[in-house]
Amino acid sequence: MQDILVYIALGLAIGFLVKKYFFKSKKKGNCDSDCGC
Amino acid sequence: MKNNSVVHVALVGNPNTGKTSLFNLLTGLNQKVGNYPGITVDKKQGKCKISDELTAEIIDLPGTYSINPTTLDETIVLDTLLNKNNVSFPDLVIVVAEIENLKRNLLLFSQIKDLQIPTILAINMADQMERKGISLDIHKLKEELKTEIILISARKNSGIDTLKKEIENYKNWNTEPLATISDKIDSTFFSEIKAVFPEFSLYKSWLLITQQNNCSFLSEELHSKINLFKKDSEKIKKYQHKETIFRYQIINEILKKTYKVDRAEATDLRSKLDRVLTHRIFGYLIFTSILLLIFTSIFEWANLPMDLIDGFFANLSELAKNNLPSGTFTNLIAEGVIPGIGGVIIFIPQIAILFLFISILEETGYMSRVVFLMDKIMRRFGMSGKSVIPLISGTACAIPAIMASRNIGSWKERLITILVIPFTTCSARLPVYAILISLIIPNKRILGIFNLQGLTLMGLYLLGFTAAISSAILLHNVLKIENKSLFVIEMPNYKLPSLKNVFYEVIEKTKAFIFGAGKIILALSIVLWFLASNGSSTFKNAKQFVTSQEENNGLSDANLQKKIASYKLEHSYIGNMGKIIEPVIKPMGYDWKIGIALISSFAAREVFVGALATIYSVESEGEDVGTIKERMAAEVNPKTGLKRFNFATGISLLLFYAFAMQCIGTLAIVKRETKSWKWPILQLTGMSALAYVVAVIAFNILS
Repeated sequence: MQDILVYIALGLAIGFLVKKYFFKSKKKGNCDSDCGC
Repeated sequence: MKNNSVVHVALVGNPNTGKTSLFNLLTGLNQKVGNYPGITVDKKQGKCKISDELTAEIIDLPGTYSINPTTLDETIVLDTLLNKNNVSFPDLVIVVAEIENLKRNLLLFSQIKDLQIPTILAINMADQMERKGISLDIHKLKEELKTEIILISARKNSGIDTLKKEIENYKNWNTEPLATISDKIDSTFFSEIKAVFPEFSLYKSWLLITQQNNCSFLSEELHSKINLFKKDSEKIKKYQHKETIFRYQIINEILKKTYKVDRAEATDLRSKLDRVLTHRIFGYLIFTSILLLIFTSIFEWANLPMDLIDGFFANLSELAKNNLPSGTFTNLIAEGVIPGIGGVIIFIPQIAILFLFISILEETGYMSRVVFLMDKIMRRFGMSGKSVIPLISGTACAIPAIMASRNIGSWKERLITILVIPFTTCSARLPVYAILISLIIPNKRILGIFNLQGLTLMGLYLLGFTAAISSAILLHNVLKIENKSLFVIEMPNYKLPSLKNVFYEVIEKTKAFIFGAGKIILALSIVLWFLASNGSSTFKNAKQFVTSQEENNGLSDANLQKKIASYKLEHSYIGNMGKIIEPVIKPMGYDWKIGIALISSFAAREVFVGALATIYSVESEGEDVGTIKERMAAEVNPKTGLKRFNFATGISLLLFYAFAMQCIGTLAIVKRETKSWKWPILQLTGMSALAYVVAVIAFNILS
């Protein structure tokens, strides 16, 4: 059971890091780069 | 879809009018800042209860002198006010003006009023009118400006309730434009505009035509219509100047009737203080003394709370180990998660003290004098006076600092500023510096006043600043880009810092540190723990192998366990990875464990301490883990028998972190701001090479 929890925590941690550094977060609103936002 | 009980309010105003103070008063802690911590570059939003039926969603927009934006961050204001489909489009606008600079502030007000959005004028620092010899005929001014006016004092929290009451009534405000620009500039031209854009107010159409950037919220058809008018750019520029002159004529006329200043009654303390604080000798001496005070205090005041936090996490780790059911997940909690989190929390006192001082200096108005003082130096090194603000902001975080460089008009100066900002000592370096300094520099006093550790920290801040300046000179001479710019800075009045603003600033910056870096550190701690606690067959057979090897050596059980833990760590996945990079980092005096922490800290510098804490925790499996500092201090080089974090290695690491570009976030933002990978790659290569060479030289000289 503890091993499963470790793998879940590891998966979440890797998922978080991959999302943070390899995928751009989408900007909210209509602020496009054309207007320099 | 907009809710009836929610009103969207935009706070707009010139810089230094107390807009953010008003925002804090209205929203309290009920606020949300954009993506990055630091100064107001992106939108800052908060909620304020106006009455039982009405809640205001308030946006604190960046300070701007007009809505003819010349800088990228100023366009945010225009985009919000022009784009009705923007989620932040306001139902009403509060223009914050400052009593002493009313004339200049009214230019922005007059432009916003002409957009025919319900607008109210909040005149701040009204409590200082008498002291400054200012008198105002408010009834006449309301009449002339065709608007409601509220006198407020964000510092003394006065007039805020009246402002809220007035907001309740916003649907009845006069939305008549203030200046009819068409007749005074070119009536035929403006009639054409009116005919082509019947769906917009005349002033909105004019603003869309005058923008340098094409706003994305407009349809293709509208873009082509706008471009028709844009063809004659000289004419547009000329008319823009005419508009500004016309607006000032109106404002002057209005103020003549309503606003009077009797200088004889005003006190002159401000100019006396300015003469001393911006003096070409005393100015620098005072600034240096203030820096010394800050850095000494960071060590003196933070010692006790840091020791308490460190001890708390060491005990918590022990507690988790002894009380949770034994197993791998418990080990992860006790050796990975708790030390990792401890590695973040421990630096809260130092971060809070640093920002307490910075925030007090900003609040009092002293920071603007520093900018003015430093401008004289900056100009010699190919940067603008405007570069000082991003460079000083860089002491908090390079990311908002690089974004703050958007208001530098000249591309060359802006590019140089962006490239050298990462040399300034950001708050992420502070944890690394703090722990290393406390390990290698004795806690002694010099001349009975200055703390030696504080002086070392100040030296590192100055080193970063010197590196930034030197690189700027180099880049100024290497980059072949034409360059011309002017520097204008407004000196705000001196004032006693508002404790509330200081408090919010410290809380916001500390929160940004914990939740920004904290999440990364926690995730990396889990990954590092896993890699350090698992390995191939050699790792799995560690116990048998070490026991059989040490069978005849008569080791005590504790020592045998320690040997097994060390052997396991060395043959874990992370140990194997560390061994691969060891030859590269060895010349700097580091072992593979430091190397792993060094690589992990590429995500964010402050990860360094947390990563070492996790690695050493795994190694000390089964023992009393002790505090982070104790573990680092106890680490021994097995070959020499000397402490791992000795003077030579410590200085080498300090210098490495002073110069290295250890921050993915900064590289991403440089790419975004320069719209090219060329500059971040150049920055990464240059800074890493410099850091490596300096660290190798320092280690070899000192060891």
